Amino acid sequence: MALKIVVLIKQVPDAEEIFIDPVKFTLNRSQARGIINPADENAIEAALKIKDETGAEITVLTMGPPAAETALIECMGRGVDKGILITDRVFAAADTWATSLTLAAAFNIMDDFDIIFAGESTTDSGTGHVGPGVAEFLGIDQVTYSVNTKVEGKNVIVERSLEDGIEVVNVPMPVLITTLIGSNMPRRSTLRMKIDALKKGITVMDHEKLKLPPEWVGIKGSPTVVGSLKIPDEKKREGKKYEVEEIPKLVDDLIEKGAIKIGDA
Amino acid sequence: MSEFDVIVVGAGPAGSSAAIRLASKKMNVLLVEKSDPPGTKNVSGGVLWGHELDGVIPDWEKTAPVERYVKAKTVGFLTEESSINIDFRSRKFDENRSGYTVLRVKLDQWLAKKAVESGAMLVNGVTVDRLAMKDGKVVGVEQDGDTITADTVILSEGANPRVAIQSGIREPLKDHDVAIGVKEVIKLPEEKINERFNLRGKEGFAGEYVLGFLKGGVEAGGFLYTNKESLSLGAVISMKHLRANGNTRSFDIIEEFNSHPSIAPLIEGGKIDEYSAHMVQEGGYSSIPKLFGDGYMITGDAAGFSFSNGLVLQGMNYAIQSGITAADTFIDLKEKGNFSNSAMSLYQEKLQKTFVMQDMTNFKGIENVTWGNLTHQHLPGILENVMLEIFMENGMPKRHMYKILMDAMKKQNVSSSRMISESFKMIRRL
Repeated sequence: MALKIVVLIKQVPDAEEIFIDPVKFTLNRSQARGIINPADENAIEAALKIKDETGAEITVLTMGPPAAETALIECMGRGVDKGILITDRVFAAADTWATSLTLAAAFNIMDDFDIIFAGESTTDSGTGHVGPGVAEFLGIDQVTYSVNTKVEGKNVIVERSLEDGIEVVNVPMPVLITTLIGSNMPRRSTLRMKIDALKKGITVMDHEKLKLPPEWVGIKGSPTVVGSLKIPDEKKREGKKYEVEEIPKLVDDLIEKGAIKIGDA
Repeated sequence: MSEFDVIVVGAGPAGSSAAIRLASKKMNVLLVEKSDPPGTKNVSGGVLWGHELDGVIPDWEKTAPVERYVKAKTVGFLTEESSINIDFRSRKFDENRSGYTVLRVKLDQWLAKKAVESGAMLVNGVTVDRLAMKDGKVVGVEQDGDTITADTVILSEGANPRVAIQSGIREPLKDHDVAIGVKEVIKLPEEKINERFNLRGKEGFAGEYVLGFLKGGVEAGGFLYTNKESLSLGAVISMKHLRANGNTRSFDIIEEFNSHPSIAPLIEGGKIDEYSAHMVQEGGYSSIPKLFGDGYMITGDAAGFSFSNGLVLQGMNYAIQSGITAADTFIDLKEKGNFSNSAMSLYQEKLQKTFVMQDMTNFKGIENVTWGNLTHQHLPGILENVMLEIFMENGMPKRHMYKILMDAMKKQNVSSSRMISESFKMIRRL
């Protein structure tokens, strides 16, 4: 039996093309093209590497607007076998709780799985909640901050990159693993596989198919409330320059201004 | 049996037009584009001249993402201190809208979407490696070791015809054939643009300038176009001269252009939103490669179909028309199923009947005039001296125009016999 892997991805606006509205101070993402969230690129590649070695079957799952189909086709162009898009107006404005719940619900109607991969966090919200949230709703183990994975029998050996070193975890499947951004080199899609992907198409699911009551999902099912948002005042730069030999004075000046402190670590 | 009727390489105006035409005639078309989404790797001034899109999208003037229509057209000569411009506005020109400023990121995406709506399969974000050949015939394309087959490949890959060169069906480009285009898109509020260029609503301005102030014999043209809420400003610099003047850099030339006393006030307060550079085809008739062969046709910039005679800079209209003509050629040949070199010559035959080949033939050699030191170095100086003497009052008795002109030419070291012969060439070619 081939291993079954599911990769959770999100299409995000390309951060290089987002700018701050000079009047309203909001993010203007209207000109930004949709890209696969960078850490999810690494999740896809981690799954594809296991496919290269074991012949696993990979499904990529995303929730988003219909335009997110392009991200799924791109994944299939790299060697992913199947794409599923969860899209429905009632899912709009979901927070990380409602998103995790919705994604987890899709597993009720999908085949069994052995490994779920997800990017560690997204560039457009950066909470890192959704991967672990799905694992909790499904009631399975999770391993975060992965930089390398290897399947051995019924277990996965996961290398986690932590602040003080690499931790190696040996975990039985089924398991959810979140991958760190930059942890591998994502491959490119090929013309042959993209043609096949476009011919094959993707599967679309809405709230009825997922049997999710509208009040559990989208904005209604989202307990997160944004209390307030503060934009710190811009400090005027003093523009002072220090020569190399004046560095001790620079340190003194910074201490005096309270910018740095001397104390016990 | 081929997988596709036609594979079109490149989703610019040429490729998408071909794909729309083919798909709407129920042909099985694959359109492959390296950028994702289409348009993000393309650079063009750009003014879309002409109405060739009528042939594939009848209501394009209402629905296409165009910025403004060209109401005012300027041709100018800039010296270090002066600018001598011909400004053209006319009610007749206004009634027959023939130019639209466009931003290619929007236009190309829109065209590619139309191709998909017509039934073509679009794959973007993938670069074709080369043509797939069998017994000297093109049978499809190769990418990452796979071969995708088609009865015919239409190459619409733009000014840098990498696939054609890799596949050995055309010579690598020579310096003479190309220029470097550098461009900035400068954000400016709509009202400011209207005020500075004397425009209203959807009216637009398109200006092209001879940059006569460059040092070391460097030849370059500048352009300045108005979009809805931005300006497209750029320079096209001959590759030959850049190479000969190793220390001249294209980004310095665009700086010199946008800080020129007659240009700087127009862009003042604007914010650079995009900066891009691309190769531009400038070789004219002599750089046109063989346009067809067993199983392939070449369209648009890839075929050298761009035109500049010093007064206008055009390319997209040739691209669209050649794309449509290539599609029509395939549709004609499909009936008999013969895509051999001799059958494919129908493409050239059809093109000869369109303005594409007629312009290229009629203006054969024009690049030697538009790219020449008379136009780029001497003419701006001569004009400046003539104007200065005519308009500046200095208490001296007035002299005859002829005398003034002769003196101005002498200052620029241009003999009257050279002026006459070059002017004759220019008039003959315009």
